[in-house]
Amino acid sequence: MNARLTGGMAWVLYATTGAIMLFVLAPLAVIVAMSVSANAFAAFPPRGFTLTWYGKVLADPEFLASLSFSAALAACATAGALLFGLPAAFALTRASVPGREALRVLLLSPLIFPVLVIGVALLRLFSDWNSNSAPLNLLIGHILVTTPYVVRTVTASLLLADVSLEEAARTLGAGVWRVFRRVTLPQIAPGVAAGALFAFMVSFDNYPISMWLADARYVPMPMLIYRQVASIFTPAVPAISTLMILFAFIMVVVMERLTGLRRAMAM
Amino acid sequence: MTATIAQYPASRIFTWRLLRRPGTATLTGLALALPALCFLGVFLWIPALRLIAAGFLTQDSRGALGGPVTLSHYIHFFDTSLYAHVLVVTLRISLATAAIAAVLGYPVAMVMTRSHPAIARIVTFITIAPLIVSVVVRTYGWQLILGNGPAGLLNYVLLSLGVIQSPLRLLYSEAAVVIGSLHVFLPMMVLPLASAIGKIHPRLEEAARTLGMPSWRVFHRVTLPLSLPGLAVGFTLVFSLTAGSFVTPAMLGGTNAQMLGNLIDQQITAVYDWPFGATIASVLIAIVVGVNLLSMRMLDGRRRAGA
Repeated sequence: MNARLTGGMAWVLYATTGAIMLFVLAPLAVIVAMSVSANAFAAFPPRGFTLTWYGKVLADPEFLASLSFSAALAACATAGALLFGLPAAFALTRASVPGREALRVLLLSPLIFPVLVIGVALLRLFSDWNSNSAPLNLLIGHILVTTPYVVRTVTASLLLADVSLEEAARTLGAGVWRVFRRVTLPQIAPGVAAGALFAFMVSFDNYPISMWLADARYVPMPMLIYRQVASIFTPAVPAISTLMILFAFIMVVVMERLTGLRRAMAM
Repeated sequence: MTATIAQYPASRIFTWRLLRRPGTATLTGLALALPALCFLGVFLWIPALRLIAAGFLTQDSRGALGGPVTLSHYIHFFDTSLYAHVLVVTLRISLATAAIAAVLGYPVAMVMTRSHPAIARIVTFITIAPLIVSVVVRTYGWQLILGNGPAGLLNYVLLSLGVIQSPLRLLYSEAAVVIGSLHVFLPMMVLPLASAIGKIHPRLEEAARTLGMPSWRVFHRVTLPLSLPGLAVGFTLVFSLTAGSFVTPAMLGGTNAQMLGNLIDQQITAVYDWPFGATIASVLIAIVVGVNLLSMRMLDGRRRAGA
């Protein structure tokens, strides 16, 4: 059922969409252009061509510490999100639970709360508990905001997987665990992988949780960039930002290969 | 976002028949969801309730919260013109962003669902890819474009073309925050719209066209009404996400376009007034939950009317 756009209206739609795509790409393109400018200030037009800023960034211990901390945090948060999210998605699609709709709303509730407010509430909780370990506090916060994405993507994959295969395997005498490992998992693996990557990026990019729970020793990447932008201009900011953009685009290509982007987002 | 997930028809939800020995399946189901529910309970619902409660408590000189229970923080919030103004600005920016996103979202969603697969793929890629780039980075890009003074990209271009004689003040305004928020949240409008438009049978539009309707009327009479559930989901998402944002107003709005998020940060980090910070957070929660409930009821009503 593929209706194509035709006629004069089609050209209006294509032109408008083209303009909107330019709007979407413009700020990213500008950052990339500035990152190789020889100007020491972010001023237009960019002058010359240099890779000096990249060399400076990659040799900056503060940047490297922040990068490795963010990557480790995102990896652990993703593992946690899978640990909580996978079984929850199974409960939503493969078991007969009372009040499925309510359960779904509860599981996805971190998406409704403003992320910033989740951060404040956690700060309050951790200070009452005297929980001073910034990495642990950040991990809990990040698991909280990444889990719903895993639940959503995996639920969508499970709804598309063929249940009759699972039932056939059960009839043939395979145990529940074996059916999961040999029949269900292979079918949903791309969806799970895409959901995990998405969760990783949600954690890697998070600012509104980290701003409350980070301390001076553990600074996630988005906070490092925010601080450098807010302070006196350092020409390294466009270079760091370009690296972040590059990383994100690589991840998007991988997700697109795995399941297609719209399915990865389950929207 | 719950609404998008809630759209799966119940018939698509199968259960393992063989798991369904009476009683055990329910227990298994609950056991599977239990770890996630406990985690959410301890680290989201209870802390959120405690935060809301803090808005009714009093803070003593050592910073401890306790009695007496009071409404004074709410009265203070709604009675002080500065705070009431921030509330109005927040609502205004969120409403403008959601409305403009809807207007921009339709053409993109239609191209995404109704064009050559290669074009559709590229448009999907460009729409979603920036979503994976940190908001801080994207907003920084807008700072470079909207920069006040002759060195901002837009000012530079307009000055070079001779359109303006002196640089415009673009940055640190409500308009700048709306532009930045649009950029951040446009995909949240496009994706639900695309999934709603994708579900409309093309024959309906074809029939209308065959009967002589001009394209814009086909859109107005067929596509638009049938995609309203997607529009409701997208509008709710963009509105609530914008209302709760912090980075965009902080980097593009400055002191001229403060939003509730910035006020919360100020009260808790700088003033260290927990009850008042909690009050503002509760107002924000009320706005977001209210908009979500409203849209869920609308969608439910439609589904029931359709059935």
